[in-house]
Amino acid sequence: MKQLEAARTRVSPVPPAEHRPVPRRKAAWRRGLAPYTFILPILVFTLLLLAYPMFYSLTLSFQDATVDTFVSGDMPFNGFANYQQTLSTGTFWQALVNTIVFTFCSILFQFTIGFLLALFFQNRFPLKNVLIALLLIPWIAPVLTAAYTFKGLFNEVGPVNQVAHWFGIPSLPWLALPGFALAATIVANIWIGFPFNFILLYSGVCGIPQEIYEAARIDGASYWRRVGYITLPILKPVTVAVLMLGTIYTVKVFDLVWIMTGGGPANTSHLLSTYAYQVGFSLLNFGQAAAIATVIVVLILSLNLFQLLLQRK
Amino acid sequence: MRPPAFRSPWLYTVVGIIITVVLLSPLYWVLMGSFMTQRELFSPHFSFWPREFMFQNWTTAVGRLWPHFATSAIVSVCTSTATLLITAPAAYAIVWLKVRGRGAILSFMLTSQMLPAIVFVIPLFVLFSRMDIVNTLPGLILGDMTFTVPFALVMLGAYLREFPYQLVEAALVDGAGQWRAFFSIVLPVTMTGIITVAIFSFLMPWGDLIFALSLITEAGLQPLTLELYKARGALGIDWSFLLAGSLLTALPAALFVVAASRFIVSGFTRGALH
Repeated sequence: MKQLEAARTRVSPVPPAEHRPVPRRKAAWRRGLAPYTFILPILVFTLLLLAYPMFYSLTLSFQDATVDTFVSGDMPFNGFANYQQTLSTGTFWQALVNTIVFTFCSILFQFTIGFLLALFFQNRFPLKNVLIALLLIPWIAPVLTAAYTFKGLFNEVGPVNQVAHWFGIPSLPWLALPGFALAATIVANIWIGFPFNFILLYSGVCGIPQEIYEAARIDGASYWRRVGYITLPILKPVTVAVLMLGTIYTVKVFDLVWIMTGGGPANTSHLLSTYAYQVGFSLLNFGQAAAIATVIVVLILSLNLFQLLLQRK
Repeated sequence: MRPPAFRSPWLYTVVGIIITVVLLSPLYWVLMGSFMTQRELFSPHFSFWPREFMFQNWTTAVGRLWPHFATSAIVSVCTSTATLLITAPAAYAIVWLKVRGRGAILSFMLTSQMLPAIVFVIPLFVLFSRMDIVNTLPGLILGDMTFTVPFALVMLGAYLREFPYQLVEAALVDGAGQWRAFFSIVLPVTMTGIITVAIFSFLMPWGDLIFALSLITEAGLQPLTLELYKARGALGIDWSFLLAGSLLTALPAALFVVAASRFIVSGFTRGALH
């Protein structure tokens, strides 16, 4: 990174010497304003489709925007009513706890599996790249595919129960049991996310020079000692990035849970995102949904701030 | 690292294949299940192999999903194209042309990238209803772009940092304008990055459910994911159709993995780590 930064400043765009006679005004335009035509479209897009909706969502969270007021068009401001209502709902707190559990468990297992895979694929062997590409499929395929796959696997008469049957374990309607439903979505999410952890850690592992390992081996360090004292410390920046990105991706999850459980049974497997969606599009209370969305934004931004503080230390 | 235990590299291949098979076993079940009757699929006994291959499941799925496949393709191609059109020049200008406010744009995009879709879906639904572009494909494309554009800008920025700017300087000396230099030098040199970002900007809207679910209600305009989501009808889930359909939805992703795994691997490691 630092080198690239240096390279960039070294070749920064100094006004080039003009060889050919170009009209002066035209030349000035080229140098001065042309760059802004490059960013004009994205500026317009950002203002209209990112910044304005964010702002609109924020104002919506202070408005009474339900079916009636939405159709009639005047959505009166109602102060913090949406927030009060949200914070006094049990489902919200359940969804918050679920989001934390879902994120923590997903990341823990995704990272562990990804790291062990990265260690394994550090070896050179035939067909390695084919296997790596295949292992990416769960991550790169649409979430819907994974969601239906695991909805089927955890079906009351599905493979998980069929296999449990071999061991004499009675069949359970996993997705219809409070607690188990959330656990099933976590298993599915681990399956979706492990390739992402794997590939980033793998690219980190590949950058470690062989000589370091050789030296440690000659000094008599065992395999796992080498992993603990060489691989892990060198991978620290990659690890921080992977965990941070993984957390953000996991807090964003919606489709998976919405398809597998729809937040059920009895609202026990909601994440904040699915809960906000339900309040907005099933209960048609856009004001309150916007308030929940604002809470999510605040959570994510504070998480981000926390990471920045960690990195500064 | 030196192999700690095995002498022959092929032993690693064998272990690697076993690991891959175990981790991808859910997909094996979907593939085999898509050829089974629903009765066999959910019988008390697990079957590794269909008693009889029901190709009918697939012909039904393809027949029913074909129009939605086309809708998804239109939405994804348009989203990907529009995304590249606005992000490629912007990423270049932000990295190399020292435009004012580039830091602000970049950090705004990074922040947007972190926010869940729900933050945009609710206001966009309300706004698009007002503007009467709910239930139109352009509306859906604009919605999808709220997550492809920040992603593409950040990732292209990472690629362009490695672009040798001296090439452009040389062209400017020869009297070319910035835009001409962009099209004749920057684009060709960074083609790998552009292709990678194009693929991801295609796959993201392809797999999107939340925007389609909120912005499209008309049956004729439903993309693939939405049609499959709606397949869980009142009579319960038609699993034979659903499993074949889910695999069909994953087809473009699988094709890209096979055709461009090298780009994809280098692509998202780069995009994520910078």
